[in-house]
Amino acid sequence: MLACARRAVSMASAASLDLGQLAQEAEALASAVRGALGPRGGQVLLTRPTGETLFTRDGRRVLEALSLAPPTARMMVACVSMHHSMTGDGAKTFIILLAKLLRGLQAVLDKREGSPFCEDIQRGERHQRSCHSLKQISQSIMTFQTLLLDHVMAQDLRKHFLSAFSNWEGEISRDTIESILEAYFCGRIGYSDQKLLSQLSSDFYYKCIPFKNDRNEMLNLVNEYFVELHFAVTGLPVSNSRILEGLILPRDFAVYCPAGGDIRILIVTESIHSALSAPGLEFVINAEAQYQASQIWITKRTEAIMKHLQNSNIKVLLSSVKQQEIVIYYAKINGISIVECLSSEEISLLCKITGISPFIPTWDNIHSEISETMIAKFCQPLVVGSKRFVHLGLTRTCTFQPHCVIFCGPVHGVTEQHASAFHGAFKMLQQLFKAVDLTVHCSWQHSDTQQKSIMENISCNGDKVSDQQLKTCMAETEKQFIDSSWVGENPSCTQTVVQKSSNLAMPIENFERDFMFSALIHRGSSLRRVQKLPLKCKHPSEMWVKNTSETIVNNHGICNEAMTAKENTTTSVVSKEITAAKDFWKAGNPFNYEKSYKYTVQSYTNLVIQQGSVLPVGGNFEILLHYYLHSYAKQCQEPKITVVSTVIAEALLSIPKILYRTTNKNSFPQVYFKATSALRTNQQLPMSQQGLESVYCKYQLVVSVLHCLTKLLTIDLIIGIRRLPQKTEDNDSEDDL
Amino acid sequence: MSRIEAKKPSLCTSEPLTKEVVSYSLSVLSGILKSCYGPTGRLKQLHNGMGGYVRTTSQSSVLLGGLSITHPVLKVLTASVQNHISRFSDCGLFTAILCCSLVENFQKINFAACTVTKISRHLLSLCIDYLKSEACVCRIAVDFDSIKTLLSLVHSVLASKPACMLNKTETNHISTLVLKAFLLTIPHTVETNVVLGRCVIVPVKDKRVMDSTVFPGLLIEVPAFQLARTFPIKRISSSTIKMALFCISMSGDISNTGEGTVIVHHGISLEVAVLDQLLSLGKQLVNDQVGLVVCQKVIHPSLKVYLKEHHVITIDRIGVSMMEPLSQMTGSQPIASLHSLSPTYYGSLKDLRTESFGSKHFLHLIPSDTLVCSLILCNRNEMAWDELKVACQTAEHVLQLTIKQPLALLGGGCTETHLASYIRHKSFTLPTSALKAIDCSWTQYQLVADAFCHSLECVARCLEHDDCEILTDTVYGHFWSVQSEFPSDCNWSDLVLKCGCGIYSKQQNLNWRVLQSQCTPFTPQSCSNESFVNSTDHLVLDCFTAKCSGLQVAVETANLILDLSYIVEDQN
Repeated sequence: MLACARRAVSMASAASLDLGQLAQEAEALASAVRGALGPRGGQVLLTRPTGETLFTRDGRRVLEALSLAPPTARMMVACVSMHHSMTGDGAKTFIILLAKLLRGLQAVLDKREGSPFCEDIQRGERHQRSCHSLKQISQSIMTFQTLLLDHVMAQDLRKHFLSAFSNWEGEISRDTIESILEAYFCGRIGYSDQKLLSQLSSDFYYKCIPFKNDRNEMLNLVNEYFVELHFAVTGLPVSNSRILEGLILPRDFAVYCPAGGDIRILIVTESIHSALSAPGLEFVINAEAQYQASQIWITKRTEAIMKHLQNSNIKVLLSSVKQQEIVIYYAKINGISIVECLSSEEISLLCKITGISPFIPTWDNIHSEISETMIAKFCQPLVVGSKRFVHLGLTRTCTFQPHCVIFCGPVHGVTEQHASAFHGAFKMLQQLFKAVDLTVHCSWQHSDTQQKSIMENISCNGDKVSDQQLKTCMAETEKQFIDSSWVGENPSCTQTVVQKSSNLAMPIENFERDFMFSALIHRGSSLRRVQKLPLKCKHPSEMWVKNTSETIVNNHGICNEAMTAKENTTTSVVSKEITAAKDFWKAGNPFNYEKSYKYTVQSYTNLVIQQGSVLPVGGNFEILLHYYLHSYAKQCQEPKITVVSTVIAEALLSIPKILYRTTNKNSFPQVYFKATSALRTNQQLPMSQQGLESVYCKYQLVVSVLHCLTKLLTIDLIIGIRRLPQKTEDNDSEDDL
Repeated sequence: MSRIEAKKPSLCTSEPLTKEVVSYSLSVLSGILKSCYGPTGRLKQLHNGMGGYVRTTSQSSVLLGGLSITHPVLKVLTASVQNHISRFSDCGLFTAILCCSLVENFQKINFAACTVTKISRHLLSLCIDYLKSEACVCRIAVDFDSIKTLLSLVHSVLASKPACMLNKTETNHISTLVLKAFLLTIPHTVETNVVLGRCVIVPVKDKRVMDSTVFPGLLIEVPAFQLARTFPIKRISSSTIKMALFCISMSGDISNTGEGTVIVHHGISLEVAVLDQLLSLGKQLVNDQVGLVVCQKVIHPSLKVYLKEHHVITIDRIGVSMMEPLSQMTGSQPIASLHSLSPTYYGSLKDLRTESFGSKHFLHLIPSDTLVCSLILCNRNEMAWDELKVACQTAEHVLQLTIKQPLALLGGGCTETHLASYIRHKSFTLPTSALKAIDCSWTQYQLVADAFCHSLECVARCLEHDDCEILTDTVYGHFWSVQSEFPSDCNWSDLVLKCGCGIYSKQQNLNWRVLQSQCTPFTPQSCSNESFVNSTDHLVLDCFTAKCSGLQVAVETANLILDLSYIVEDQN
């Protein structure tokens, strides 16, 4: 058996992972999308094997269309696709960043001397050595991503974030939404239609949302059913694209009987006309008369059902299957319109919006009342281009006000591009309203970093922290342990743990990092509340409000203090931020930043990224992260982390470099110089462009790239096999016999 | 397993527009299209080189459908023109030529794609705003009180298709027929939602063009032997024939029996049972005094015989396409049940006759309300007939579009030259605030505007294929053509007769210059419309909706093509 396995290995072609080659592949991929990056990027034309052409500036589409052969390149593309399908954005930046990172790491490895990744082993084969150092790099990157990134985001970057919300309730102004969307479309479609599409999508956003609080549900629904909520018409100018009230079913009526007023609609998922025999049943014919009689009976039954529908004042029948001609005939007699062959997605969308379930005609309910109906304001044919569609104006019963988009364009390639960019924009908005909770990562970090040396001591804060809070902190630490080990717990259990841990005099050095400390205190306070209130509030702003009522001074003060351990007093930090915000506002910004910015500053709580955090476009995030990673790397004691964060910091700069490649007024060195000098003097970044982008998306992008990188670097051998990799091996047991 | 092949990597081209292959194939395509344009356009013969069907044409729809284009850039161009044609039928060549020349001219000035896009977008909005405004003098309102402008529209469409091989009288004849057929499809009573009827084109290919004619109602072709055995039809009154229209099969087949099993005992014939049902249905039809039974599918011969014995005419296998006009015309609802017949679903006909044309025989169904008509289209030559059919359909579509928006643009190149002089004038006097909004310099704007106007004039220029000089006047900005063999000392005014659209004739106050020569911008003016209302000749008119949309599509497509930075071709 062993010999057999050996032979199998020798037959397959195997190659070790070469960092240089990886970098080359990533660069080849990056070069295909580089031209399309940023607001001045051009379009890419894709042709499919079927001969269709497609315009795109979507990095994912381009990369997938390249269909490169190397398995590692395919893996990179798969990572990009995964990231893109999640966030709807950032595919181009992803691959460019990845290429730069790989190149940067290769340079580090090539240097050899002084590199922290090469000193450990001096003997052994070259291959083994490189393999080992790759493994080490990937580990350091993982550590960086789990520990350091959040730290830098929370401590340094956060003060630069702006909030998209204009008030406490999380309302978002139209101007802000438009500038976020415009910035998004700048990178996704051709110049001429950017304005149009950003207006169209912000219109759609406001039209679909009945109450501002149902934002997330609405976005989920739009993203899930986007295929049903849009359709394309070719041959018309792009300017004819518009939003229509109601839903459109892309097919004509099988029967159309005009009706006015409120129209009652019924959904059916099976044929109304029953057949002579059903599956699994036998129908025996004894005489010709019997056959005729049964035929007549079936017809009469259909007639009775349709009559009953008419009596129940049903005007429209939406069917997922094709109905028999006889049904259509009786529908026409009874003044009922029928739309056939609805897809299952359309049926589920309709059911979701209206909250009804399909009607199943049986003998029993032919005479009973029909309750599962929806009401529409109108249901009429709509002619778009030369095709006839069904236009359905449903009255709202849930969190989504039904609207749909019509995309017009000269060719299919353009309408498809617009539709996918539109869909991406709504995915992006969904990301915008997400927050990164530090505590989520904390439980991780905690177990990870148990053994790590303590870098900063927070004992200086000790005297300001009241005893009671310290106790809860310890309790919280204990709870974190339990969390990380996935033990299910109930309140009473926690209670006992609290008791126990408060008795144990845990050394204060165990609270490793300042930022974590703040989070822990916060969690502690919320834990206290959990003990009082049975329900834990999830909405961050709400949570904050509740916290204020309890321990506003202590809690808030400590949070800020802990976060900015090097600063002397809390108040000075906050006041500085506010003055900075005021300056920013005075600079003639169209949005009311003062208010929103204050909000951001005040609500420094347990979130690395607040809901709705945004930054101005134009590589600001990259420059900021670059700057702070660099300054972190300078102080960092751990050589591996220093190297990794320097490489990442350098790679981040490649994005603004490409963005400012052509403009004469703002060349990259100028922009970079202005930004860093502003940061050194603690000022706001200069803003060269209008438009905002979601910080969450950017953060997610960096995390995804680092994940992809670690995944790539942990491979040591690439083995080519002849057949498809099998997921399960069932024949193992047989071999053993 | 052996069928699985590794995917080939894709072929990538960066900066495709700078490649020679693109500009070469673009110039070939635009050469083909330009030479087809207008009433004097050259014909193209399409064949596959293997003895297949040969088509002579000058129409964009046929031409672009026939050409097999491989380069992705050109594919985009042709696809967008074809989509335009499928929506509007008309102005396909205009769109294609304009798009080609825009790409060529914009490439020459070699600015960043985004600058060109922004400026051309602005120019386009100037054009569209002007065309849609009341101040526009290159459009005329269509007057439905007289058929003159409508006839001019149809005439212009037919005249611009030289491959139909029509002479002047034939063009006039067909124009009148098309307009007549269109008028027959308009309902008498106008409700809020107007639904136009249908015009069915019936091919007769062995007669002269002048034999073409229009019938109200439907013509259904029947074999000659069936026609010979017709008998006096059963009527309810002198002007009403009751008819029944069936949309299900009456052939006596067993309808679907479901997914389970059906067991039939020995000696029982389901066919007999169904036939019994059919015959009882026939009996009811006879009792209800139905004179004509039409079925979309097949009627069982026994039923046919039975009905014939009772003097009921049967027509079967008319197909699904005829069902809608039939039910529209006669008011009968398609019946889908063999068991219950409701007398309310019978329709009525005014009369039923037999007609024969050449070698073909027809049953002519004459309705009391004409919403449906049949246009018998004759042409001696098969190829020319095909071309004529497409031209007639285009003309009908143009009329439908004109009813929706009762405007027409001056044809014969006058709209293009007029629009070019309007844009020149507008861009010359553009306020600096507008420039700031577009974020470009005055020179940039002028250069792009010049390329834009040049492209418009280039389209007008393509109307003349014989060695002609093209002039434009400096008052109206219209299109004038003169023969090129003229003595060098004579005045332009001695040579010109009429402008392209026919609205202006030679006047004292006009000055001419060669089209596309340098000149100072001027405001194109209008004159009173009386001159053309009184004139007896046809004006050359274009469909307003189709041309506006064509203009937009051409500019948008040209911008798309210019914006390309990369091409990825899938090689699988």
